[in-house]
Amino acid sequence: MSWLRDFEAELSARGVRPAVRERLLAELADHIACEGGAQVADPSARLGVPREIARQYADELAADDARHGAFAAFAALACAAVALVVSQTTLGRFVGYPGFDRGFSVALSLPATLAIVVGPQVAVIAGTLAAWRAIRRRRAPVLAGAEIALVRRRARVGLVAGVVTMAGLLLYTADFIGVAPAWWIALSGGLAGAALVALFAARQTLDQGARTVVFASGPPGDLFDDIPPLRRLRAHPLVLCLSAALTSGTVVTLAEWHAERSLAEGLQRGIFEAVALSVGFALLGRAIGARR
Amino acid sequence: MRAEALKGHLDGLILATLASGPAHGYAIAQLLRDRSDGAFDLPEGTLYPALHRLERAGLVTSEWSTQAGRRRRTYMLTRSGGGALRERRHEWRLFASAVEAVLT
Repeated sequence: MSWLRDFEAELSARGVRPAVRERLLAELADHIACEGGAQVADPSARLGVPREIARQYADELAADDARHGAFAAFAALACAAVALVVSQTTLGRFVGYPGFDRGFSVALSLPATLAIVVGPQVAVIAGTLAAWRAIRRRRAPVLAGAEIALVRRRARVGLVAGVVTMAGLLLYTADFIGVAPAWWIALSGGLAGAALVALFAARQTLDQGARTVVFASGPPGDLFDDIPPLRRLRAHPLVLCLSAALTSGTVVTLAEWHAERSLAEGLQRGIFEAVALSVGFALLGRAIGARR
Repeated sequence: MRAEALKGHLDGLILATLASGPAHGYAIAQLLRDRSDGAFDLPEGTLYPALHRLERAGLVTSEWSTQAGRRRRTYMLTRSGGGALRERRHEWRLFASAVEAVLT
């Protein structure tokens, strides 16, 4: 049946994955057989134009896949967050935080600490923005190709940051094998390993349908569409960056001052936080739609 | 009736068709045509993207069966599909009565 062959070719050209393609073709083959198979005079008049149906199908599938991928990424990042919080809370409460110099090597503890301090912040921001866009646009049957790319990019950045965080947690755990009790090593290492599995599974989900060619065009939208109160700052990304850095730096300074009972310690961490946020904004701002 | 006129209503119409029982794509197309006295004579290939979309949204579910040696996918309304149909019926009544009030 040439209509089916044309339709299959159009679906293939739009990168619709084989399992979905086969199901759709089997259903349409049954439909055509119900109508009398080859006796149908003009299949395109009866069934529609293969190119248009394939295009519509690919656009809708890509939008659903991107939303699904964003939710999967957010769920996996939530698992990673639980792993980090449980690991650090149990360490602080039952063992006590070992100093940098107590582990095997500072060469291990320093990058590990950096990863578990910076990674979660990138993961939270990118993962939340991906999920938030997917929620905001949940009723739209079709999303523009650029918008789908933005959702995917945010989710991917979040997942990479999640993997970096969990790798850092594993490193951190390994660094204190000789210091911390075995139960904590097993708990922390097990949780980090499980979270890594969840993150890689989410990556698989996100990659599903990544090859689908989207025809729908339009702007990708940005952070300011997602958070309307920030719209006034759209033309002033530097002001946005400095405000965010100042706010987070101040919050961290006050929190650490209170926790460590040392203003100098608080200032040191607050300044690090502000600098890290500014660097993150410069490096990843465009990728997650926070600046143009 | 042109296919464009059905845009935005097709999902609701499919859900309403499935409310009377499970059906496969061809049967749904026939039911749509019959119940509308031939007015809803849309390109039938467009039904399948809509059915798959409804399934991904959890409003319908489906399963394979074999009929006369052919694989056939039969669709059924889910509980949330039933809820969505009630919502769409309510919205349609409001919309239709508002249009009626303005036009007549």
